[in-house]
Amino acid sequence: MQSPSAVVVFISVELEQLAARVFVENTDKIQLEGLRPGQTGTGYPPVPLISHLSPNPDEPEVQLNNECTEPQRLKFEISEVMTEIEQLTCVRDTKSSQRSKQIAVGRKKFNMDPKKGIQFLLENDLLQQTPEDIAQFLYKGEGLNKTVIGDYLGERDEFNIRVLQAFVELHEFADLNLVQALRQFLWSFRLPGEAQKIDRMMEAFAARYCQCNPGVFQSTDTCYVLSFSVIMLNTSLHNPNVRDKPTVERFICMNRGINEGGDLPEELLRPQLCAEGASSAFTSHAARRLESCEFHQTEERRILECRISSPMFLSEHSLSGNLLEEGNLYESIKNEPFKIPEDDGNDLTHTFFNPDREGWLLKLGLSLRLITSDKEPRGIIPLENLSIREVEEPRKPNCFELYNPSHKGQVIKACKTEADGKVVEGNHVVYRISAPTLEEKEEWIKSIKASISRDPFYDMLATRKRRVATKK
Amino acid sequence: MGILFSRLFYRLYICKRDIRILMVGLDAAGKTTILYKLKLGEVVSTLPTIGFNVERVDYKNISFTVWDVGGQTKIRSLWKYYFQFTQALIFVVDSSDHERIETAAEELHMMLAEDEMRDAILLVLANKQDLPKAMSTQELTDRLGLHKMRGRQWFVQGACAVQGSGLYEGLDWLSDQLSKR
Repeated sequence: MQSPSAVVVFISVELEQLAARVFVENTDKIQLEGLRPGQTGTGYPPVPLISHLSPNPDEPEVQLNNECTEPQRLKFEISEVMTEIEQLTCVRDTKSSQRSKQIAVGRKKFNMDPKKGIQFLLENDLLQQTPEDIAQFLYKGEGLNKTVIGDYLGERDEFNIRVLQAFVELHEFADLNLVQALRQFLWSFRLPGEAQKIDRMMEAFAARYCQCNPGVFQSTDTCYVLSFSVIMLNTSLHNPNVRDKPTVERFICMNRGINEGGDLPEELLRPQLCAEGASSAFTSHAARRLESCEFHQTEERRILECRISSPMFLSEHSLSGNLLEEGNLYESIKNEPFKIPEDDGNDLTHTFFNPDREGWLLKLGLSLRLITSDKEPRGIIPLENLSIREVEEPRKPNCFELYNPSHKGQVIKACKTEADGKVVEGNHVVYRISAPTLEEKEEWIKSIKASISRDPFYDMLATRKRRVATKK
Repeated sequence: MGILFSRLFYRLYICKRDIRILMVGLDAAGKTTILYKLKLGEVVSTLPTIGFNVERVDYKNISFTVWDVGGQTKIRSLWKYYFQFTQALIFVVDSSDHERIETAAEELHMMLAEDEMRDAILLVLANKQDLPKAMSTQELTDRLGLHKMRGRQWFVQGACAVQGSGLYEGLDWLSDQLSKR
């Protein structure tokens, strides 16, 4: 968005240019630069002055030439230009508010369908078609849904891959260990679940990490495979669908495989490094495990030593303590899974995108619909801690309502989009919805019931709020 | 007779076998759609996790844990550790993608060549059968070189993940084969 002050400066420069033209060129062919209605897209107010000033021989201006003396004509023209510039300022103002409105529309479109959103922003000159510019837009992430950012960055398309690279370049990973850097990276967008997409993203990440931290890894490939492995670890340890959780030994074992893959120089695996590395670089955890588990001790030590002597721990930097070694790494991921990134802003429409899995609803006309990718939601009602019941409504058929069972009279958290595109908070204590048919009503009730989740925090908050309200 | 009956009873009611399955296929073949289509009708109440798509699908007497697997050859060694003793591989192929069918075939055979995969049975889901240019299951069998394989049980099932057709038929075959073991 252009700030108002910037607009003023721009205008004054233009005024000088115009005046200069009037005096020096002494001509009636004045054109305002930078104000071409054809370019401004839809919704701009018509600017009649343009045609008035355009070099058109049929216009009355030409006649002025014949009737007025030169100084008079100039005076007249200058005053005309002045009024015009005043009006121009006006137009600029609407233009800048128009622009910000269009950016907001673009963001919303992006959240519904990233490709269409970017296309819209490009068509309206709000973004440049360079990977860097688009990456910047995604990195700032203002008003953008992070799941959608992840979807866009994960596309196989060549251009998207370049955007991904530019996006990763915007991150600063210097002096962070691998897990810290990954945490930072994975906060900027929601990592998609497709293996191929994760693969591309980890590859891009590793390249950047190694660029920021030369010497930590011998090759970017090692960094890439280990990063990928960390994502697998996070999935195995924290996804409830995975039943057998890997132990630290298995994780270490698995990563040993990275080197056996063969693309690492052999001298890096020389045994003398083991002795140096192993004693200092064991994590207390790994060491404890070794002590406590006598039966496997020798085998484990062998594995750990082999691992620690491997290229990723070779540099002094990593051995001196600021390191990422598997014991640490495993513990870190085990104790603290990667967080689901939160979206920017309080605009609820941006918060959710995958209603099948998250349980949000969209009100569309009279019936409730789940959000589909190409439709803007009319409103969103988070279903946490709500209940649903059938109601008789004299004016409308097949009604049911959403209400708060534990706190009657409490406004339900919800939002809707008004006709002008503004998103406002809802202020109702009950939401009644009418379905077109009886079957649909039942289906809705069933699926909404299935999506309702409970979070004790909201109840606590509500009780607190009420207590504060009664004290007043 | 008694033993037979109790065995049958065990199979039917008590033992819900855990089967680990890998799902492989090129980009945009439809793996994610299939995964979530299979979950449809079940309430997903778990906290979302950052990482790979993994879903558990209970079907007949088998609990399938399906992992979306893939990526470049460099990371294949990692999967090995995770999927020792994998019993089945679902290979998803976009039937309408004539250009990349050779790449898909390569990917498939590379995967099957892994030592961990030697006992895995193979289900090929010929996805996107609804598209006009879709290859038939017969053509796909040829182009994927399935006849050339020795000593492996395999099956090609036509499917349309978006509509959900063919998926359970595929699972039927898998559960039939696996319960014979």
